Amino acid sequence: MFVPIELRKEDGRLIYVRGEIRKILPECEIIVNPVEPINLPKNVTRYLEIDFPPVLIKPNAIETIYLKFPIEIGVFAKEGDKITVVDVFTFDKPKYTLYGTPKNGVVCRWFWSEVYYEIPEVDPLKHGVLKLVIKNGGDWVEVGKVVLDCYAMKIYYSEFASCWAEMKILSKISAETTFVDKPIIGGMKKAIELYTTRRLIGRSFTMEWGLK
Amino acid sequence: MTVSIEGLVIFAFAVVLGVIVAKIVGIYIRRSLADKIPKNELNLILKIVNVSMVAVFVLFALPFVGVNPSGLIAAGGFAGLVVGFASRSVVANLVSGIFLMAERPIRIGDQIMVGDIAGFVEDIQILSTIIRTYDGLFVRIPNEKMFTSDIVNLVANPVRRFEYVVGISYKDDAKKAIEIIKKVIDEHPFALKNPEPQIFVNELGESSVNIVVRVWSPSSVWYDVKTELLWKIKVELDKAGIEIPFPQRVVWLRRERDELGKDVST
Repeated sequence: MFVPIELRKEDGRLIYVRGEIRKILPECEIIVNPVEPINLPKNVTRYLEIDFPPVLIKPNAIETIYLKFPIEIGVFAKEGDKITVVDVFTFDKPKYTLYGTPKNGVVCRWFWSEVYYEIPEVDPLKHGVLKLVIKNGGDWVEVGKVVLDCYAMKIYYSEFASCWAEMKILSKISAETTFVDKPIIGGMKKAIELYTTRRLIGRSFTMEWGLK
Repeated sequence: MTVSIEGLVIFAFAVVLGVIVAKIVGIYIRRSLADKIPKNELNLILKIVNVSMVAVFVLFALPFVGVNPSGLIAAGGFAGLVVGFASRSVVANLVSGIFLMAERPIRIGDQIMVGDIAGFVEDIQILSTIIRTYDGLFVRIPNEKMFTSDIVNLVANPVRRFEYVVGISYKDDAKKAIEIIKKVIDEHPFALKNPEPQIFVNELGESSVNIVVRVWSPSSVWYDVKTELLWKIKVELDKAGIEIPFPQRVVWLRRERDELGKDVST
């Protein structure tokens, strides 16, 4: 797939061009990596909801599934240990949804994925692979969606982007989701995050408006 | 009561010191909490800290100008009556401001409507609330009025719904028009997947078949989505040859003829 960004050197400066966006940068290291999928067309939320065909989980069982998730691509300028965002774009079509009620729910970036039991092939410019470990300490439960707080998202990448999340079932209609700060396979590099500074706000999300 | 120059200087110094200390503490709180709590709550905390610190310094410094703070309480009875009567509206605004801050029907940055004033909440002060209207005007509303008025907070809930009525001509296929409208809505990122949009024929009007379109959108981008989608729907319906008719009335003219068949209608 054609990546529509251009970086050229002019008069000792770097010129970054993507479509109508044109920025002049000082000479510095440029890093391109997948970032949290909640910025485009405009940041209105911190949550990602992935819907998938309902999976029935046995009582007191742990089930690991793989889902696809959307990615956005961040372009960063780096000097020493200081990093700033130059641009964020995506090849995917974003869509948003509401998880919960119009009074108390949360707006989420929405995505539909099939369920896989091993790492699926993905279009690496559009999608990543989410390893979801569902921990059910109670009765039978049906799970057809996961809502994650992207401010705590930990993306790792190599040939494709990936992240790892856990879903602890609290009841038939509620669960707690958390990102795990580990790559799903060896040899992956940690992506620069857009929302590192806000990590203190909360690392887990409680899904209290249903699991399917 | 005699007040010495030294006493006045000490009082002034204490007040200035109080302001400076309040400022420094405010800067420290702002730096520590800026990333951790919403801006409006931070502003509220800063205001409370600021006023409290200055008040403490003033209370400590009052004896230097011959005022005994405990005496203030005793004198408060009559003076309070006089001052209270004179400043009834100020007190009403102050109390309303405190209730507004406690009840929190609005927050700084919210889009609200109070009476015929609509805009962004710029600040919630002790005595008044500042609104920046959509056309950029500064409006100060006394808190008493705010407290007793119907406040419509346009962004209190995470999502809002809007509605269009799209009229198509009787000769066009309403089912096809609904499919086209649904596709346009599906393609818009902020036209929410859930709650699902509703598109249905609502009325057989005088000049058109009226299709109601209801879409939910995040409150923060509600107006943008509303304005963008309507034109996109119009363009796509045009492309598909579906007509959005003008109001029209069919008029039948009866021709009257005389016995010889001559047209005598007027």
